[in-house]
Amino acid sequence: MKRRSWPLLGILAFGYAFLYVPILLLILYSFNESRLVTVWSGFSTKWYGELLHNQQLLDAAWLSVRIAATNATVAVVLGTLAANALVRQGRFRGRTGFELLLMAPLVMPDVIIGLSLLLLFVAMQQTIGWPDGRGFTTIAIAHITFSMAYVAVVVRSRLAQMDGSLEEAAMDLGARPLGVYLQITLPLIAPALLSGWLLAFTLSLDDLVIASFVSGPGSTTLPMVVYSSVRMGVSPQINALATLIVLIVAIAVLIAGFTMRRGPNR
Amino acid sequence: MAVPADRRLLEPWQDPKAAPYVRIERVTKQFGDVYAVDDVSLNIFKGEFFSLLGSSGCGKSTLLRLLAGLEYPTTGRIFIDGVDVTQVPPYSRPVNMMFQSYALFPHMSVEQNIEFGLKQERLPRRERAERIAEMLDLLKIAPLRKRRPDQISGGQRQRVALARSLAKHPKLLLLDEPLGALDKRLRENTQFELVNLQERLGITFVTVTHDQEEAMTMSTRIAVMEAGQIMQVDTPTAIYEFPTCRFVAEFIGSVNLFEGKVMASEGNEILVEAGAGFTIRMRSYQPHPLGTPVTVAIRPEKMRLCAQYDPEAVNQIEGVVEDIAYLGDVSIYRIRIDEGRLVEMTLTNIQPRTEQALTWEQKVAIEWSPTSGVVLTE
Amino acid sequence: MNQTPNMQARQTSRLSRLVNIGVPYFWLGLFFLLPFVIVLQISLSEPALAQPPYRLLWEWVEEGLLQIQINLQNFMLIWEDDIYLYAFLNSLWVALVCTLICLLLGYPMAYAIATARERHRIPLLMLIILPFWTSFLIRVYAWIGILNTNGLLNHFLLWLGVIDTPLQILHTQTAVYIGVVYSYLPFMILPLYANLTRLDPTLLEAAADLGCRPLRAFMRVTLPLSMPGIVAGSMLVFIPVVGEFVIPDLLGSPGSLMVGKLMWTEFFSNKDWPLASALAIVLLGLLVIPFVLMQRLQQNLDEGRT
Repeated sequence: MKRRSWPLLGILAFGYAFLYVPILLLILYSFNESRLVTVWSGFSTKWYGELLHNQQLLDAAWLSVRIAATNATVAVVLGTLAANALVRQGRFRGRTGFELLLMAPLVMPDVIIGLSLLLLFVAMQQTIGWPDGRGFTTIAIAHITFSMAYVAVVVRSRLAQMDGSLEEAAMDLGARPLGVYLQITLPLIAPALLSGWLLAFTLSLDDLVIASFVSGPGSTTLPMVVYSSVRMGVSPQINALATLIVLIVAIAVLIAGFTMRRGPNR
Repeated sequence: MAVPADRRLLEPWQDPKAAPYVRIERVTKQFGDVYAVDDVSLNIFKGEFFSLLGSSGCGKSTLLRLLAGLEYPTTGRIFIDGVDVTQVPPYSRPVNMMFQSYALFPHMSVEQNIEFGLKQERLPRRERAERIAEMLDLLKIAPLRKRRPDQISGGQRQRVALARSLAKHPKLLLLDEPLGALDKRLRENTQFELVNLQERLGITFVTVTHDQEEAMTMSTRIAVMEAGQIMQVDTPTAIYEFPTCRFVAEFIGSVNLFEGKVMASEGNEILVEAGAGFTIRMRSYQPHPLGTPVTVAIRPEKMRLCAQYDPEAVNQIEGVVEDIAYLGDVSIYRIRIDEGRLVEMTLTNIQPRTEQALTWEQKVAIEWSPTSGVVLTE
Repeated sequence: MNQTPNMQARQTSRLSRLVNIGVPYFWLGLFFLLPFVIVLQISLSEPALAQPPYRLLWEWVEEGLLQIQINLQNFMLIWEDDIYLYAFLNSLWVALVCTLICLLLGYPMAYAIATARERHRIPLLMLIILPFWTSFLIRVYAWIGILNTNGLLNHFLLWLGVIDTPLQILHTQTAVYIGVVYSYLPFMILPLYANLTRLDPTLLEAAADLGCRPLRAFMRVTLPLSMPGIVAGSMLVFIPVVGEFVIPDLLGSPGSLMVGKLMWTEFFSNKDWPLASALAIVLLGLLVIPFVLMQRLQQNLDEGRT
């Protein structure tokens, strides 16, 4: 029934090329022997070797991963609660404000979130003595604040799609509300929780601006290290790092696609 | 009239001393300004196959959900087996429900679905296994036990849903449009199976349906609902043959309605004037004062063709065939009797269609007996 | 305690309500709303050579006497100094241009994906989302190597013979446009795709049946019905781009300032917290209108769906 429209396909192809050519070039030049991006002087994996011996970068990566995992876990809990509230509690007082507050971090510029949270942490330290200094905890809190909105969006749409009579049936068969949630609702929204977790993890791993504001001395995250080295100009080590990240993401996507195809509820 | 003793057992609602198993007492359910269920009182007896029949939005599903505990009444009370369950949450009620969508848990196998309710009851493992085996056997779904709901057919899902809701041996089984998702063929077979199952288990069934045929075939009694209220509660025969109001008469099957005034009363028969020179003689089971406006309801299949029009005969009328609808087993004829009125008549097609006597524009005379209709005052 | 079962049920539901609404509300109130109050307060204070580098709005002058000083200087400065006004206008301009380019490129892409064969849609969509999962910073960095004066693009163009001297693209406004469109394109495509797949294809068939030619049918039926997707996508691009920092910092020219970068500089280099706060407040004020617009739309859509 559908006719192929060539101009449309052309734009589509251009769009994908636009999205992928820079990444492919990054990967290609990570295997370049020369330090210069423009000159291809032979295949080499030496930048990977250098990368793996860059202690500062490795430390930063480990800190980032820890923060990202903490952030993702807490954000999934909070985001799921918020999604429950929005889908299952109907109209409650302050719902509009709740929704506004929840969704605002999705579009709020990073500089504003970073600045305002830093000022909060400073004020809190002055008045109640907590948080004492800035680092892991403050960065995690900041990341959770904006990640939970993303989780809430993902979980909310899954909850809204769910057949409400499943929960009623469970209750009719004798399950109490908490039992219904644990035995029926949670297993059914599990795919959304997983993708929410991964999303929150990635967002945290990717954030430069907010972390720069709320980190303290001695807590440098991976994007901060990358940023300072990128400001110096092109560095093949960063290409190698990019290649590794793309590789990890590609593997994760393949696994996710594979399990989803085999899973019982698509 | 006196009811014989053996009928009292089969039809407990005839026995004034029988205690109802489910008692709905003046229950009202409001959603905002809308009265979904409006001051409904209803008694359902043990072992009944009771149907709530009505079009969509009439409140039948809400009434069922009130029985399940998925909604709480705004006012009124509900008793099940003598216990006031008005405020009891669904998980503590001795009632189970089969949902219209079946609501089978997609992440559990057939067996796990059936086991779910038993697990909530903390039944020991052995007893659970026995119960599951019993249900798999009862509904003939043992080969499916390890499958997931998305791996079985619609008809099989219906059986699993039934097995799951019966596994807890509820005092009352609620069925929300139990056959709604099945295709026509399967539906007819399943109707009889459901009735057999219900008779074997002796569990009281309350079902909600919009399909009158389904309600007629399966039920001991039917409650016809409209706008949150119950219009009539009776056996399928009584609902069809003796509707008490126009709504029920028109809702179930087709009917010819003649409006008129009571002219005379002779013994247990009355004469109704339904237009100029058109008098209907009907059996009446209650007295009607002269001049009362009434509606006479006569089913199309109660009409007969007469060989010749006799203006003197009782309940005879002349008209012209305007429409013929051939349905295979029967044909429906629409006969114009005057400017504003069409009468519908059904005739069984004893002969092949080509041999049929009636054709368009043909002048015919039709008649009916005084006992084959009812006189309605509402 | 002698409780009816339903009282227990009601208590459970009240508890779940409290947890589901209360906990996220509390978190957002503490870590999202309260910070803005503090930003507002600091934007009204004076900078100081102290730790932290600003003076509190209030002081206990004597016992029991509270002195409050409000300082509007920061806002005056933003209004009077051309740099700030220029930065705001430039940010809005960049956001507007990039939103339009994203729309012009993203709409046909979303449309092509939405009308592709059913089994191709998800893989095509995954390819749009995939880059988003790799590091944003590194993707922006990739363009430095491409747009450099002796970068890949210039080499390619020289080799083609289109130009004979390398173009200066890196550290210009053009580079910022490219970087922003590249990073934000998925945010435009996703809501558009979601909207376009929801459109009932029989509408177009009906239009064709009624004698409408395809292009006309698109203009009269598809385009108006996809308006919610267009607005949502545009807001998802426009709002964050106004405050973008990384892209103008790495790809833009030092001369063409954007608010995000300016805030960063005031904060980290000049240590002028009150001024940075005032900039944040003004930026926030500018973004509230499109944000509320988007939220309204979303609510209308939600209500329309149920």
